[in-house]
Amino acid sequence: MNTLVVRPTRVRTAGVRQQILLTAQQRLMILMLLFMAAFFLVSMRLLYFAMFDTSSRNGSASTAFLPARADIVDRNGIPLARTIDGYSIRVVPEKLLNNRQYLADELHKIFPDISRAELLAKVSGPRPTYIRRRALPDQVAAVNAIGDVGFDFPREKERLYPQLSLAAHVLGFTDAAGHGVTGAEGAFDSRLIDKATRGEPLALSIDARVQGVLESELGSAVTNLEAIGGAGIILDVHTGEIAAMTSLPTYNPNKLAPDNMAARRNAVTHNLYELGSTFKPLTVAAAIDAGTVTSMARRYDATAPLAIAGFRIRDSHPSNRWLNVPETLIHSSNITTARISDELGRENMEAMFRKLDFNTRPKIDLKERAFPIWPKNWGRLTTMTTGFGHGIAVTPLHLASAYAALVNGGIYRPATITKLGDQAPPKGRRVFKAATSARMRQLLRLIVSDGTGKKAEAPGFRVGGKTGSAEKPGAGGYRRSSVVATFAAAFPMDNPRYVVLVMIDEPKGNAYSSGQRTAGWTAAPVVSKVVMRAGPMLGVFPDESRDVDVSELTPLLWRNGEDE
Amino acid sequence: MDNMDATTERPVIATTRTVKRRGPRLSRADRTPLGLWFWEIDRVLLLLVSMLVAIGLVAVAAASPVAAQKLSTSTASLDPLYYFYRQLMWVIVGVPVMLGVSMLPKPQARRFAIYGTITFLILLFMVPLLGTTVNGAQRWIGGGVFRLQPSEFLKPFFAVSLAWILSLRLHDQSLPVVPLSFVLTGVIAVLLMGQPDLGQTVIFAATWLVLVLVAGLSMRIMGMLAATGVVGIILAYFFYPVAQQRINIWLFAEGDSFQVDKAHATLTAGGLIGTGPGAGLAKFQLPEAHTDYIFSVIGEEFGMIACIAIAILYLAIIVRVLVRLLDEEDSFLILAVAGLIAQFGGQATINMAVNTQLFPSKGMTLPFISYGGSSFIALSIGMGLLLSLTRRNPYAARVSMTRNWNKK
Repeated sequence: MNTLVVRPTRVRTAGVRQQILLTAQQRLMILMLLFMAAFFLVSMRLLYFAMFDTSSRNGSASTAFLPARADIVDRNGIPLARTIDGYSIRVVPEKLLNNRQYLADELHKIFPDISRAELLAKVSGPRPTYIRRRALPDQVAAVNAIGDVGFDFPREKERLYPQLSLAAHVLGFTDAAGHGVTGAEGAFDSRLIDKATRGEPLALSIDARVQGVLESELGSAVTNLEAIGGAGIILDVHTGEIAAMTSLPTYNPNKLAPDNMAARRNAVTHNLYELGSTFKPLTVAAAIDAGTVTSMARRYDATAPLAIAGFRIRDSHPSNRWLNVPETLIHSSNITTARISDELGRENMEAMFRKLDFNTRPKIDLKERAFPIWPKNWGRLTTMTTGFGHGIAVTPLHLASAYAALVNGGIYRPATITKLGDQAPPKGRRVFKAATSARMRQLLRLIVSDGTGKKAEAPGFRVGGKTGSAEKPGAGGYRRSSVVATFAAAFPMDNPRYVVLVMIDEPKGNAYSSGQRTAGWTAAPVVSKVVMRAGPMLGVFPDESRDVDVSELTPLLWRNGEDE
Repeated sequence: MDNMDATTERPVIATTRTVKRRGPRLSRADRTPLGLWFWEIDRVLLLLVSMLVAIGLVAVAAASPVAAQKLSTSTASLDPLYYFYRQLMWVIVGVPVMLGVSMLPKPQARRFAIYGTITFLILLFMVPLLGTTVNGAQRWIGGGVFRLQPSEFLKPFFAVSLAWILSLRLHDQSLPVVPLSFVLTGVIAVLLMGQPDLGQTVIFAATWLVLVLVAGLSMRIMGMLAATGVVGIILAYFFYPVAQQRINIWLFAEGDSFQVDKAHATLTAGGLIGTGPGAGLAKFQLPEAHTDYIFSVIGEEFGMIACIAIAILYLAIIVRVLVRLLDEEDSFLILAVAGLIAQFGGQATINMAVNTQLFPSKGMTLPFISYGGSSFIALSIGMGLLLSLTRRNPYAARVSMTRNWNKK
C-alpha cells in the first residue's frame, strides 16, 4: 500500500487520493516519532551530563578555581602565603570627565602617602597608569565614589602573606610577574605554578606558632640589646626539618619597599660569621672520636696564653690553672681547646669540618646559600684557631646542622624547609660515633648547668648548649667591642629533639644584659625563653625528674672557691 | 447618585466602522487583510517562534563577549556586546521579513519560493566563480554587509519547490517527479560539496529524503536509500579528509579534539542550573561560541534545564506543525510544510547533537538562536513560508480533522 505514488496509475480517483493522504499522514507520524526520539536522546544526554558527568565539570571548575600559584602553609596547615584577587586602581586620563585639579585633590585625600603633584601628573598624563597596585577595598570604594568614568579597578591576582612578616625570610616574595624571587617562593617556584601541583598547598616544615615565639623573643632581645641584627633557627635533630627560622632585621613581604633590601637577606643561610666558641664542642667531639682525648679527666695547661707563630691565644676569663675536658668547655677556654686541636691535628680537624659540609654551601632547599670562607693556608695555627671557631666562617645553619649531628647520635642530615610528613627522613651520614654523641650531650648539659650557659637554663627542659662570643674581624684585626653572640643549644638533653640556635649580631652591653655583650648574657637568655615557650608546642614538656646523667663528670669539676 | 453618573458616562462603542472592520482591530469580526491574517495564522507557532528568537537574543548576548574578545587586539577592543547589537539588527530586519512572507497567499508563496529557488540556484552556480573564501571554504557571494550565503537562502525555497515538483504527480502520474527531484538535489549537493559544505549537503539531502518519504516512496526504496546513505558516509570517511578527521575525533577520540573537548567542558561547566548570565568562564576557551557552539554557552550560563527547555521548545514547534498537517488535504502543502519543518528540526537536532557530542562536529547553526545575519534572514523566510502555508480558516480545519483521521 505504501508504493501508491510511485506506481504509475493513470486513473485518479478519490480513493487513491485518500490513500496518498493516508500514507502521507503515516509518514508524517513516523517523522514526528523520529524527531521525538532524537530530542529525547538529546535531553537524556543533557540530563546525564547534569547528573553524572561530574568529572569534566570538576575539571573545568577546578581549572577556574585553581589558584594561579599554590598556597604555602605551615606544617599544621596555617596559611602563610595565598593568592587572592586583589583590586588595582587605574586611571585612564583620556576618559576623565572632571577637572584634573579637583581629581588630584580628591585622590590626595584618599592616598595621603602619594603627593598631590604626583597624583596630578598621573591624572593628566597621556597614558593610563596605576594609582595603586594593591588597593584596599575602602580605597577602591572611595575612588569609585568620586564617580569619574576614567577610573577603573582591574582585578589582579596578587600574593598575600596573611601572617605579615612572620617567616618572611623562609617564604620569600614574588616579583610583579608572579614568579618567586627568594625563599620558598623562589626555591619552589616551578612546583607552585605547575598546573598539576598547584592545587595542593605547599606545606613547609615551619610551625607558625614556634616561628612566632622565636621571632618575638629574638626580636625583643635584638631591640633591647641595640644589636644590628640577629638570626635564629629551630631544627629537628632527627629529620633535618626546620621548625622555625628567622633573620633580623626583617621585612613585610606584602609591602616591599626599595629601602629594605638589606632586611631581605636571610642571615641564617646567607650570612657568614666566625661563630667562635660554639665550635669547641665540635673540636672536642672530633678529638674523642679520633682517640686523641681518651679521658675526660686529662688536664691541659691554661696557666698562660699560648704563643704560636707570633700570635698569642688567650682566654677572655683566664683560669690560670690546668683544665680538664669538661672544664675546658664549661669555662670556654681558648688555650686548652687550641691544645686539644693541636693534638687532634690538621687532618682530623679538616676531615671533621668536611664531613659537616663546612666547605660547601649549607644543605637546605633554599636558593640563598652562602659559600663558607675556608682557611686559605692551613697551618698549625689555623688548626688551633678553627678549633675555637676563628679563621673559618660559616652560616648559622651550618652550625645548627652540625649540632644536630653532635647530639642525635652522630648522624648528619641536610636541613629542609618542607614538611616531611609520612616520608622517611633522609638517611644522613655518620659524622660522630654514637658514644661520642652521648658524651657530648653530657658535656653540653654541663655547660648550661655549671658553665657559661647558665642563663640558657629552662627549668625542666634539660637544655644543653654552648656559648660563643666571637669578636668580629675589622680593619687591622679583631674588634673587641663588636661581637657575634651565639648560643647553640639542644633540648631535651636526655633525648635531644631540637637544636635551637640564636645569634645576635653586635649586641651592646647595656642594662638589659647587665652591661655584658657576651653570648652567656645576650643569646643564652633568648634560648631559655624560646625553649620555655616553644618547647610544649614542639611536644617537649618540662619534667624536673628527668635529665641526662652527668654524675660521672661532676667530680671532675673543680668548684673550689667558685660558687662561694 | 452613583447610578445616575454611570448611566450618563457609558462609553461609546465603535462609532465609526469601515465595511471590512466591523469589530475592534484583530477581533473575529475584523475582515481587513491584517485581521484575516491574524485569525488564519497559527498563532501558537508564531508564539513559539517568537520565544525562540527572544532566547536567541539572550544567548547571543551571553556568547558575544567571547567572539568580541577573540577579535579584539591590544590596541583596539571590540564592544563585548558587538555581536548582540548585530544580531538585534538582524532580528529587527528578519522578523518583519518573516511576518511579510507569512502574509503571502498560498499560491503567491509557492511562486515566490520557485522564483527564489531559481535565483539562488544561479547564485550557487556562481559561488565557485566569484565567491569569497572564509575559513578555507568558498561559500559566500559579495562582500561587506551584502555578503550572503546562497545555500542558506536556497534551503527554504528548495523545500517548497521540491514539494511542488513532487505534488505534480497528483496532476499527472506519468511525470518522473522522483528522479527529477533527485537530479535537482544531486546538482545542489555536488555544488555544495565543492565549496565544501558537508553540513548543508546533509540538510539538503535530508530535506529531499523527508519529502519523498512523505510523498509515499516505497519502504523498499527508502531502505535502499538509507543503505546508500550509510555507504555515502563510509565513502565520505575514506575520501573526504574533513569528515574523516571529525569522525575520528567523535568515534575514536583521536586527533585534535580541542573543539569538542572545549564544547563539552563549557556545556557541563554550569551543571543543572548554570553559572548565571555573564558568569560563565569556560565559554571563553570555546571557538565559534556565538554560532555553532552557542548551545554549550547556554548550557554553562543557564544550565542543563535551559538546554532541555530549548530542546522541548524546538520539539513543540515540530510537533505543532506536524500535528496540524494531519488534517491537511492538499498534498503540496503537506509536502512543503513537512520539508520546511524537517529542515528546521533537522538543523536544530544536528546542532544539539553536535553540542552534546552525539554527532561529529560540523558547521551547523542552531536555528533562530545562533548568531548570523545570512542565516537569520534565510530562516525568517523559511519560517515565513511555513506560517504562510499553514494558514487556514480556523473553522474549516476542525471538520476535516475528525473526518480524515477516523476514516480509512
